Amino acid sequence: MKATIERAVLLKSLGHVQSVVERRNTIPILSNVLIEADSTGQLKLMATDLDLQVVETIAAKVETAGTTTVSAHTLFEIARKLPEGAEVSLAAAEGKMQVKAGRSNFNLPTLPRDDFPVIAEGDLPTNFELPVAELIQIIDKTRFAISTEETRYYLNGIFLHVAEDASGPVLKAAATDGHRLARYTVTRPDGAASMPDVIVPRKCVTEIRKLLDEAEGNVEISLSASKVRFQLGNAILTSKLIDGTFPDYSRVIPTANDKLLKVDPKSLYQGVDRVSTIASEKTRAVKVGLDKDRITLSVTSPENGTAAEEVAAAYDSDMMEIGFNARYLSDILGQVDGDSVELHLADANAPTLIRESEKSPALYVLMPMRV
Amino acid sequence: MSIRRLPETLVNRIAAGEVVERPAAALKELVENAIDAGASRISVRIAEGGISRLEVEDDGCGMTAADMALALERHATSKLPDDAIEDVTTLGFRGEALPSIASVARLTLDSRVAGGDGWRRVVDNGAVVAEGPAALSHGTRVLVEDLFARVPARRKFLRSARSEYAACLDVVKRLAMARPDVGFVVEHDGRRVLDVQGGQDQLSRVAALTQRDLAANSIGVDLDRGGVHIGGVISLPTYNRGIADHQYLFVNGRPVKDRLLVGALRGAYADLLARDRHPVVALFLDVPGGEVDVNVHPAKTEVRFRDPQLIRGMIVGGLRRALDEHGFRSVQRPAEAALAAWQQEPVAPAAPAPTLFAAHYPHPHAPATHLFGADTDPATHALVRDRTVDFAPPRDALPIGRAEAATAPVPHADAHPLGIARGQIAKTYIVAEAEDGLVIVDQHAAHERLVLEQLRRGMSGQAVPSQGLLLPEVVELDEPACDRLEAAAAQLMALGVELERFGPAAVMVRATPAMLGAIDCHKLVTDIADDLAGYDAALGLNERLELVAATMACHGSVRAGRTLSVAEMNALLRTMEITPHSGQCNHGRPTWVKLAMDDVEKLFGRK
Repeated sequence: MKATIERAVLLKSLGHVQSVVERRNTIPILSNVLIEADSTGQLKLMATDLDLQVVETIAAKVETAGTTTVSAHTLFEIARKLPEGAEVSLAAAEGKMQVKAGRSNFNLPTLPRDDFPVIAEGDLPTNFELPVAELIQIIDKTRFAISTEETRYYLNGIFLHVAEDASGPVLKAAATDGHRLARYTVTRPDGAASMPDVIVPRKCVTEIRKLLDEAEGNVEISLSASKVRFQLGNAILTSKLIDGTFPDYSRVIPTANDKLLKVDPKSLYQGVDRVSTIASEKTRAVKVGLDKDRITLSVTSPENGTAAEEVAAAYDSDMMEIGFNARYLSDILGQVDGDSVELHLADANAPTLIRESEKSPALYVLMPMRV
Repeated sequence: MSIRRLPETLVNRIAAGEVVERPAAALKELVENAIDAGASRISVRIAEGGISRLEVEDDGCGMTAADMALALERHATSKLPDDAIEDVTTLGFRGEALPSIASVARLTLDSRVAGGDGWRRVVDNGAVVAEGPAALSHGTRVLVEDLFARVPARRKFLRSARSEYAACLDVVKRLAMARPDVGFVVEHDGRRVLDVQGGQDQLSRVAALTQRDLAANSIGVDLDRGGVHIGGVISLPTYNRGIADHQYLFVNGRPVKDRLLVGALRGAYADLLARDRHPVVALFLDVPGGEVDVNVHPAKTEVRFRDPQLIRGMIVGGLRRALDEHGFRSVQRPAEAALAAWQQEPVAPAAPAPTLFAAHYPHPHAPATHLFGADTDPATHALVRDRTVDFAPPRDALPIGRAEAATAPVPHADAHPLGIARGQIAKTYIVAEAEDGLVIVDQHAAHERLVLEQLRRGMSGQAVPSQGLLLPEVVELDEPACDRLEAAAAQLMALGVELERFGPAAVMVRATPAMLGAIDCHKLVTDIADDLAGYDAALGLNERLELVAATMACHGSVRAGRTLSVAEMNALLRTMEITPHSGQCNHGRPTWVKLAMDDVEKLFGRK
């Protein structure tokens, strides 16, 4: 194999694929990126961690077609440190790959391509397209609620499913860690009608989100019950899905919370941020006292003293007091873009519903804290 | 096949299966008899781990010839004068031991009451083979030979003579610990292995039977509540062992093995000891006879309390209070280990130089100071002393710490047990001068403990904040575990765990402590259930919360490697003196050690 490629193009693509590769691997070949040059002038870079696989195709001057694998992180570091505008030549032969650019010369050990694991996609019966901007919204509004706790593995991702709503057919994305829930709803795209319920794992979400930053237009999504494939621009990301059952989250979305609080999310966010300075690192409990058209945020910590702040709000129900984890509350408030947010409350022990308005696609449920 | 009543000898042999399963068990019965006879000195002679020969001699009340014949009958005893078996005051009461032993060995019983004549009775595996007068001073001597000679099945199950001997010694030690007023002697194969004088106090008796340096590293416990009394000796948390072998519990003078003690000790030493370290403890519990049932097992090593919660609460409370009162002490044993580590220059030219280096000394555990003591040449010794006197600084010269202008008068060392800070070494250790020695403090470890105690003061009296679960988690457990969890629900609520019964074999968790963050509910609840089963208290949950506090304390405290000013160092020392448990950090390591002035002087050959 022999090919020449511009450094900037190589760096960008390697940047996409190398983040899939785990830093430490027990199987050596998983540290490598597969480089395939074909005679039509295309260079294919591919990396995998056995659950997730990214393939990116870039244009290159190919002298000799061929395939090899080489350490992804090393090649990425080399490309990063090469001078801007350099032409990088990659030549592989006899277990070595020579990387040359200007006066720099590297010889990297390679591993045979036949050992490189490739995820078998199988049949992906459901195919649809989503605009890049919409997929970005779906991910951004829900990913913060993904659980990191490994025992309930079925919560370690975003749950996607289709449903019939009052407004028509929709695609819903939900994530929860057992303490809060985030849900985002979009109109069901064409072709998604028979989509199975799937859970997209966290790492896949992170990687696809990175690729979305540089993508435009639409993302082609193909999936079966066990695999999902995202195609955007010249990159293809294939991932296994979490094999589990997402809990029936619709049951925990309260429908009869009668106390309505309307508040400016920015000022509430800043208020929570300010008073939680006092909160002890581990619990970060903030108490919210609700009174007519006014709420009081307060934090008491045995070591650091107390803090209180009043925030203007629209509230017309009975007085009450409720505690929240400050971090959970600010996570949610940080996702609200408009200048008003609705909090539907029932009592100090019941889940609270948070959304911008009845029409807004994003909806959050937060469980209070007993303080 | 017709049913027949078994002959007496066979019945005894069957009973022996329960009471006498190994030589140590026989020895236990015999020594207990001696104690019950009011002996002031008991000598035990063992050969071959007690298998071939066991001899117990006491100077107690003795028996008459008629009593001796009766004593070898089953269920014959002098220890239950009325039929009040609930209120037993002696160690034995079943009247089974002697006939049981006599049925499986050759037993020679010699006894004389004060003022009477001595008599001997020899029984060989259940049959009387000889009887006649004997010569001995008042008291009783029991000789057991060839145990299980005619019960080959049981003989096969005996372990090596060595481990049988260890078990015998342990039995005598436990009994000796319970009765410091009685003297005990044990000889094994002609070698005297244990010799304690009667009339000792409890602490020195326990120290003599466990480890000599326990005496200097222990705390006395003394607590009275509702007719129950707890006394005894417990080790400082920094004085610990890798295995839990030196933990003794005595109920009304009777050595018992009880899991209650294990749980209570863990509760009392929580966060003072690393999980795999164990304190040395000898606790003496005096309970009114009616409150405890000793008639649980023929070997009488188990007891049942009428109110185990009260007893457990008392042990934890009593130990905790004793530990609190001695909070800042830590183990005092630098002399042996630390002194051996000092590099010593050869000061005497006549002495054989290489062996003087501590590092070259063939016995690493021997303190280097002994080298000087062993120096037999008085001339060299004197010479060295003469020379060093010239160079000795005047004793009252003020050591110089850091070059800082003294704005306040230097405080006097005698007012402060931890001394006055003189400087910092390696930016990690504070060196302080106390009245009686040199104190070295690990600044990070010490501050860590201070911050933890502060956090704990802040947390106490407050409910633990708990985070509600959006999706209540159902944890499946076996039914008794669920019952225990349900019964403890109110207690768990205060610790931040909210759960309720969910069918016969499951509980539903509604909230978990917010401090623990996102945790594995199943594991948490299963661990709590295990703790409830083992110790009747959710120790583990408390420990977890404490662990979070300890981690916070660790991050919030002065790090090793920070330069401290003299004022800061003194402030730290003063706070340590008034803070409970400041003698060890949250992980059980000592926060300070003291090098006594005597030790310092020994290092320089002045003593």
